[in-house]
Amino acid sequence: MLSHFGAQIVDLGSALLLLTCFAIVAQRRLSACVDLFALQSVFLAATAALVAFLTGIHHIYIAAALTIIIKVLVIPRILKKVIERLNVTRELVMNVNVPTGLLICGGLAMLAFFITQPLIPLGFQLTQGSLGIALAIVLIGFFTMIARKKAVTQVIGFLVMENGLFLGATASAYGMPLIVELGVFFDVLVGMLIVGIYAHRLQDAFDSVDTSQLTTLKE
Amino acid sequence: MAWPLLILVATPLLVGLACLLVRGRRLIEVLQCCQAGTMLVSAALLVDWVVGQQEASVDALLRADALSAWFDLILGIVGATGTLFAVGYLGEEYDRQHVTPRRHRLFFAQFDLYLAAMLLAVNVENVAIMWIAIEGSTLSAAMLIGFERSKAALEAGWKFVILNSVGIALALFGTILVYYSSEHLLGVTSEALRWSELYRVADGLDQTAIKLAFVFVLIGYGTKAGLVPMHTWLPDAHAEAPTPVSAMLSANMLTLAVYAILRFKAVADRTVGPAFTGKLVVGLGLLSVAVAAIFFLVQRDYKRLFAYSSIEHIGIALLGFGVGGIGVFGGAWHLLNHALAKSAAFYGAGLVLLRHEHKLVERVSGLLRSMPLAGAAILLSGVALAGMPPFGLFASEVLIAVGAFTARPDVAYAFLALLALAFATLLYQVFRMALGEPVEPGRALGWPCRLFTATAVGVNLAVLGLIGLQVPSGFNTLLSAIVRIFGPGMGSP
Repeated sequence: MLSHFGAQIVDLGSALLLLTCFAIVAQRRLSACVDLFALQSVFLAATAALVAFLTGIHHIYIAAALTIIIKVLVIPRILKKVIERLNVTRELVMNVNVPTGLLICGGLAMLAFFITQPLIPLGFQLTQGSLGIALAIVLIGFFTMIARKKAVTQVIGFLVMENGLFLGATASAYGMPLIVELGVFFDVLVGMLIVGIYAHRLQDAFDSVDTSQLTTLKE
Repeated sequence: MAWPLLILVATPLLVGLACLLVRGRRLIEVLQCCQAGTMLVSAALLVDWVVGQQEASVDALLRADALSAWFDLILGIVGATGTLFAVGYLGEEYDRQHVTPRRHRLFFAQFDLYLAAMLLAVNVENVAIMWIAIEGSTLSAAMLIGFERSKAALEAGWKFVILNSVGIALALFGTILVYYSSEHLLGVTSEALRWSELYRVADGLDQTAIKLAFVFVLIGYGTKAGLVPMHTWLPDAHAEAPTPVSAMLSANMLTLAVYAILRFKAVADRTVGPAFTGKLVVGLGLLSVAVAAIFFLVQRDYKRLFAYSSIEHIGIALLGFGVGGIGVFGGAWHLLNHALAKSAAFYGAGLVLLRHEHKLVERVSGLLRSMPLAGAAILLSGVALAGMPPFGLFASEVLIAVGAFTARPDVAYAFLALLALAFATLLYQVFRMALGEPVEPGRALGWPCRLFTATAVGVNLAVLGLIGLQVPSGFNTLLSAIVRIFGPGMGSP
């Protein structure tokens, strides 16, 4: 009974993650996108902690705590600083407009469930629904990177992909070994620092972080 | 405890950290030379060890079988000569006051950590730690590509970091899928992520999960390997990075990405048979060769030219691994010879860039007369890269064609036609640069830069020439062991 109820709660957590993805796709204000990403990371940490509680695998708690520290506190702060310095608040021109983007994301979510359908019986009882949601989040993050032009939103797209991967690892595979999780967190953090450095240098060199201005290199 | 393995992986890591701490240009240069020597010797000793005892391991963390040892050899030799070339190249930039002492130090620290991450990735036993190490190499490469901070370098670096982050994220999803299916057989522990355990239980893994995982891994690491159509970052990054970094990207990092694909292919071949992975790998390989062969003609920038040549050769090697059997032998042989020839070509190109300070093919003609060292490096390695005998790339391309012919004759015909096209288009461009009359005077180069480059080019071309004439018996043992890892290939039922 508890595990059935638990499975439903885990599914709810995963669904909330997916919902915030759609909100990010629909949001034009950059700082709101960062807040939504932080909110998504809170849902992620909560889902991970729930899985840890229900399965008794303790190292997932550590991963959840790291999610809070790095993805809810540190990275949003770095991104906010970048936005402040760059003096951009809104994204007015996108490669794909919002309604079309939302429709495409709906399609991507369906595609993700279609692809993972044959794998679902393989999963653990508790978290069977999560693999499809995880793939959907990865694909929507990928789409965000393509659809947006500002460097900051492209980075948020990447971070959303990373959240999807983390959900996939935690919810459907009960977490990677601790050393792996630590390594992945370290890489994400270093990656963010590098992206931050690049955003500053791009701003100095181009007076803009609109990546559609990066057009000197082509055949 | 295999000492050569530990020393090979630890040296660049320790030297890189030391470069952050020490002051003084000479001290850093001495450290780098020591690193080059140590890498060369320990790679040779490691190969010798693996030839004698099949595998070398350090606790449960590092384990080198024949496949790892082969890539250690490539990364060891080219990493060592690349370090020497970097000392000469950055020294010249330092003398011209293009880099400050601080950035000089920082460059070598990043360069060494980059080499260390790649060597760790090739030898580590855990699938997910391999992913972490590869991501580490991507991040250090991102800093190195943008090192010169020009607009073009920043654009290339941004493109690299964004595309490769997406690629590596997809590869992680593939890794998670492998774990998802293996933990049912091996339990929720690190055991389920060890290569040797995965190979042991590969028969029983879920077929759909492994197929899906392989597709994700192929797209993900294929982005890093520069396979068409995920190659768009590659020519920009190779052209805009400092030349020692371009050489390392081409000879080491693309090779490393191929290694990652091959490891997963070996698992997938055991689970779903070689026909599934073979088709995908051969398709992408052939497409890469085709696109590169055509794009040779329109290149006006010589570093971009060599970048497209890397796309071609990585495609050829993957095609060999895809068809299997003798093609695997050819593919592995091809990777070693390509790494040696391509890095020598970039070392030559680096000298030309330092002298002329631009990258236009039509304005650097007559290199053999104006710069005998760079001209000879570009001409000889260009001839080798086009696939002319007596260099090993000729032998490997023949072996791959034979392998393709036994498996899929239609693939073999397409492959040979594309090779002929690439041969003509690449040599046309190389001859334009190497022969003829010099048109521009250019700046004089200091002797340390020429000496270091001559050593690096000399070692690369000497090894390339020697192994082209005769395959050493130890190499033969390793290559046969690699062929056994991949089994019979597409050709057999």
